Amino acid sequence: MSPAAGSVGIDGHDYGIDVDRVQTPRSALEMLRSRISGRYLIDPFGADPQLQDFVLPPLVPLVRVDVARPRNLPRRGPALLVANRGLGLSEPLVLGMAVRRVTGRRLRVVGAPDLPAVGDLVRKLGAIGAYPTDLRALLRAGHVAAVPLGPTWLRTGAGIPPLGLLAAAVGFPVIPVAIRPGGPLGLPVRPWKVTVGRPLELGARDLHDPLAPAELAEAAREAVGRLLAAG
Amino acid sequence: MGGELGTAVAQILEVHPDVDEIAGVDFLPPRRRLRRASFHRIDPRDGERLAAFVADFAPEALAHIGVYEPHARMGPASAEERTEAATAAALGAAARTGALERVVVRSGLAVYGRGRGRPSVPDEEVPVAPTTPYGRMCLDVEALATRVGRGLGIPVCALRMAPVVASHVPSPLGRLLRLPVVPVPAFADPAFGLVDARDAARAAAEALLRAHDGALNLVGPGAATPWQAVRAGNRLPFPVAGVGWVVARRMAELAGAPLPLHVEEVLRHGGTADGSRAVDALELEGLATSQEVLTDLYEWATVTTLRPAEAA
Repeated sequence: MSPAAGSVGIDGHDYGIDVDRVQTPRSALEMLRSRISGRYLIDPFGADPQLQDFVLPPLVPLVRVDVARPRNLPRRGPALLVANRGLGLSEPLVLGMAVRRVTGRRLRVVGAPDLPAVGDLVRKLGAIGAYPTDLRALLRAGHVAAVPLGPTWLRTGAGIPPLGLLAAAVGFPVIPVAIRPGGPLGLPVRPWKVTVGRPLELGARDLHDPLAPAELAEAAREAVGRLLAAG
Repeated sequence: MGGELGTAVAQILEVHPDVDEIAGVDFLPPRRRLRRASFHRIDPRDGERLAAFVADFAPEALAHIGVYEPHARMGPASAEERTEAATAAALGAAARTGALERVVVRSGLAVYGRGRGRPSVPDEEVPVAPTTPYGRMCLDVEALATRVGRGLGIPVCALRMAPVVASHVPSPLGRLLRLPVVPVPAFADPAFGLVDARDAARAAAEALLRAHDGALNLVGPGAATPWQAVRAGNRLPFPVAGVGWVVARRMAELAGAPLPLHVEEVLRHGGTADGSRAVDALELEGLATSQEVLTDLYEWATVTTLRPAEAA
């Protein structure tokens, strides 16, 4: 019997696969063998780390990212990254690549759609539904997650913070992140620039304050706005 | 006490020094030898006899495991009838004795309901909203036990268990997954959790001994998916979508593995939960992972032929 390593019952090292850290992909033959035998790890949120390690590495060289202040990204333990975004999926993908390169961890992006096929596919690749309960469980299990702020046209600033989701993150490290495209309209002219802010401070006395989520949301929006303005 | 779970709970309590006397009832005899516990064969539908026995025994602690899963050992109507009758008679009679100090009831993750707009990994704070008859049955049991607990001012623990499956445990999900051809969702592969029968028994015994108050999710670490389960068991997947599930339900029933709605819900929409509170509160270290439970489901003991001793 394997010990229950994660607090939501995620075993960190089943079939030699780590649900939190990126691993070197196995050979195609070995992967095929484990898929046929059904011996591969699935976490309670539906993620399939083996599939991620096989599918995502070819994308890494295609997404050019410069990360400023990478030390602010946690190497272990739970954390919630709050980042700006435009329309589309570019920012979450870029942030995932940045976290992968700097820390070697798998970023869990919040916002998987409740759609057949598509929803399950993005969950397998690491996304989770936009439910406070799911986010809270993910953070309790020690993962690093990302919540995008509301989308803004032409990526001009920090969008509206998702209050319910940030309420679930009270008590966990919340880190503001600014993501700027390498070219106009997100065109890959230059590398994307990701600036990681310092974790937001929320005093221990505020944890049970009913206004804490609203204050955290506002603090996150302001911090992301400042990082964007600082260029 | 006659089911796999009830017998295992009794066995754990038997060896505990703080437990003086153990008595159990069910309509089926225990699955294993009980050394100290006494068993009384009473059909839960015979409420009068069941209540009289409970009143006579006057338990200080009550573990109500008799929540019958549809199509595990009986059809849905019979399961509901027996569950209702057993719950009302046992809890009511035990409450009236005035000796009752703590209660543990079996429930299921089905109380959360599944589908669009619902969290995939609910914790105990998520409002319950069952979407299947079994989920509603579990919720009714929880509600009655909570009312009794509040009335007497005693702790009541509802253990919301993931499906308990194993090669030797009667379970509709286990039976379905062992068919040669298994219906799976054509356009989805949602994650579901499982729990080992021994772990479920351990949790029920610990909740009783610690007098835990409140609901707890009980689910093995990790998860499995329908497509993965089919491959792990070396079965053939039969992709199903939309109204095809009506046909799949009928075919499964004809094949001897009826597909109740709560099992269909698990296959189509998943069924995991955050079980961290139970692990912390009951100190449940070393739970079998959902994958290990799944592996155990397909493991059959090898047949050893015993030859008669030759005459001297």
